[in-house]
Amino acid sequence: MTRLNLLLLLALLASSLYLVSVQYESRRLFSELDKARSQEHRLETDKERLQVQKRSLATPLRVERLAKEKLQMRNATPAITHYVNYHAESSPIKGVR
Amino acid sequence: MSRSISYTSSPLLASRTPVWRSKFVVAVIALCFAVLATRAAYIQVIANDFFQRQGQVRFVRTLELPANRGRILDRNGLILASSIPAPSIWAIPEDIERDDPNLEQLARLLEMPLAELNKRLADEDKTFVWLKRQVDDSVAQQITALGLKGVYQRKEYKRQYPEGEAAAHVVGFTNVEDKGQEGVELAFNQDLGGHNGSRRVIKDRMGRVVEDVGEQIAPVDGRDLQLSIDSKVQFFAYQKLRDAVLLYKAKGGSVVVLDIVSGEVLALANYPSYSPGQRRNLSGGQLRNGALTDSFEPGSTMKPFVIALALEKGLVTPETQIQTAPGHFMIGRATISDSHPQGLITVNQVVQKSSNVGTVKIAMQMQPREMWNMFSQVGFGQKPLLPFPGAVSGRLRAYKTWRPIEQATMSYGYGLSISLFQLAHAYSVFARDGDLVPVTMLKSDQPAAGVRVISPKNAGAVRHMLQMVTGVGGTAPKAQTMGYSVGGKTGTAYKQEGHGYASKKYRGVFVGVAPIEQPRIVVAVMIDEPSSGKYFGGDVAAPVFSETVQQTLKILGIQPDLSVKPQIVAQAQASQESF
Repeated sequence: MTRLNLLLLLALLASSLYLVSVQYESRRLFSELDKARSQEHRLETDKERLQVQKRSLATPLRVERLAKEKLQMRNATPAITHYVNYHAESSPIKGVR
Repeated sequence: MSRSISYTSSPLLASRTPVWRSKFVVAVIALCFAVLATRAAYIQVIANDFFQRQGQVRFVRTLELPANRGRILDRNGLILASSIPAPSIWAIPEDIERDDPNLEQLARLLEMPLAELNKRLADEDKTFVWLKRQVDDSVAQQITALGLKGVYQRKEYKRQYPEGEAAAHVVGFTNVEDKGQEGVELAFNQDLGGHNGSRRVIKDRMGRVVEDVGEQIAPVDGRDLQLSIDSKVQFFAYQKLRDAVLLYKAKGGSVVVLDIVSGEVLALANYPSYSPGQRRNLSGGQLRNGALTDSFEPGSTMKPFVIALALEKGLVTPETQIQTAPGHFMIGRATISDSHPQGLITVNQVVQKSSNVGTVKIAMQMQPREMWNMFSQVGFGQKPLLPFPGAVSGRLRAYKTWRPIEQATMSYGYGLSISLFQLAHAYSVFARDGDLVPVTMLKSDQPAAGVRVISPKNAGAVRHMLQMVTGVGGTAPKAQTMGYSVGGKTGTAYKQEGHGYASKKYRGVFVGVAPIEQPRIVVAVMIDEPSSGKYFGGDVAAPVFSETVQQTLKILGIQPDLSVKPQIVAQAQASQESF
């Protein structure tokens, strides 16, 4: 009887210690998950910020200024545009006038 | 032996301990256990709530989960407004170490002189001082890296407007709390703003989150809003308008571009404008979204509506001859006159030459009620159905109060007032074969169904007159644009000042339709008080119309309907494409 009790006590002790370590492990993993989540959030906001930045670098105002001043381009007018009719049913080559 | 406890049977080891002593020890130990048990019961049963609360105060934290404000996009999905994190820096002056050399660094990062920073931190009694609100994310990270004691950051968002001043009046702006204050930001504040969520967590001593407690309320992000505005059309319209206002030394101006097939507003620009990101030193004039919030007397741009009504009533045909000689006409004691006497002209020419006398002669054959009906059917005197703050309804008085002279002046656009937006909207009647399209600021893909006002035949007839206005002998040949047929009407109106009209202050207006055979857009331009000598709508507003139409139709991908003399140099020998 005593022997059995002793065995059960040992088992109980082992189980308790295991519980402590599992609890610890779960909290560690959770905090890591949380860290990853907040990093995800930060990356998302970074992406948003970069998108806005990209957009503000590509506004028509800036594009036009660069095209005119740096690349010496000018506005296209119908006079210097060759209009191509595209018919979906015929082949693209035949559609060219 | 009864007076002592026997521990052993050996008499040699017999104890002399009295029985009461051992009983006493047992009793004391039992009492200790009883105290422990009571204490345990007190903690776990009676005062459990108190201890639970105290424990939670020490390790449970409620974290706010901020919701993002929705973005504002243009019709092609390009960003017009978006929130990005911009932490605000605050401090507890008491905790600051005065001789920290890093304070100088902090002042430099906050872009303020060290003296200013010290002044803000001077009052040691305060427990909260903003150092700077909404700094850049990168700056905030550098401040964190300094590791200053007593300096903290609060997570906030800042609205960014990449389009800047070109779309400022449409998009509007938010305040420092991220609440809409103007324009679409205000009109759709409910949709754009989200709801913050929250979660309760357990934090360990390092400040790491180790466990969730209870339920988490997820944040609801604001809805993205896709406007009907095309940022390219918007920009070009704004740019051409700005150039014209500066060239003619005008006080300001507005331009509206409507897609009449879907009823979408493609562009709505005003000058002067402002940068939504930097709103210091703003004046009220810059903030005004004049195209919607300012009403004015439209002048001759009203004439086509009167003529359309006359055609509809069968009073005239486009070829009916009207005698406008000698260039003035009496109604009661008032004289109505043309700036250039025209003689005997057709109804077509009345519009083309913008003859006041001709229009009044036609208008006086109608009942005031009929004219009033026509004007209200095209939206005058009513607020446009746009969810926009401050849109005005203009002024159209009840027909019962019209005196004959008022009916006459109203036929050429004095005595009633409308906004430029209403004017553009009303012209969709001519562009759309006689029906008025419902307008929208939000993107829609389907063609809109309009409300019939005049017959398609008469709408076509008026369009033809509008085209003549921009042709040889019209008032606005400058409205022509390369490759596309256009039609429109000029208006030049004296500005009202007090009770009368200012003698040298004008408004030049041009509103038109393009391409004239198969209309797609209506463009309305208003230049306020041009002061460089030119002031006729055909001189100051028509060129803006011409350039805006050119750019807009090109962006919409509409093929020119007029043949253009090609100037393509290397056209003869197109090389064969390999395939």
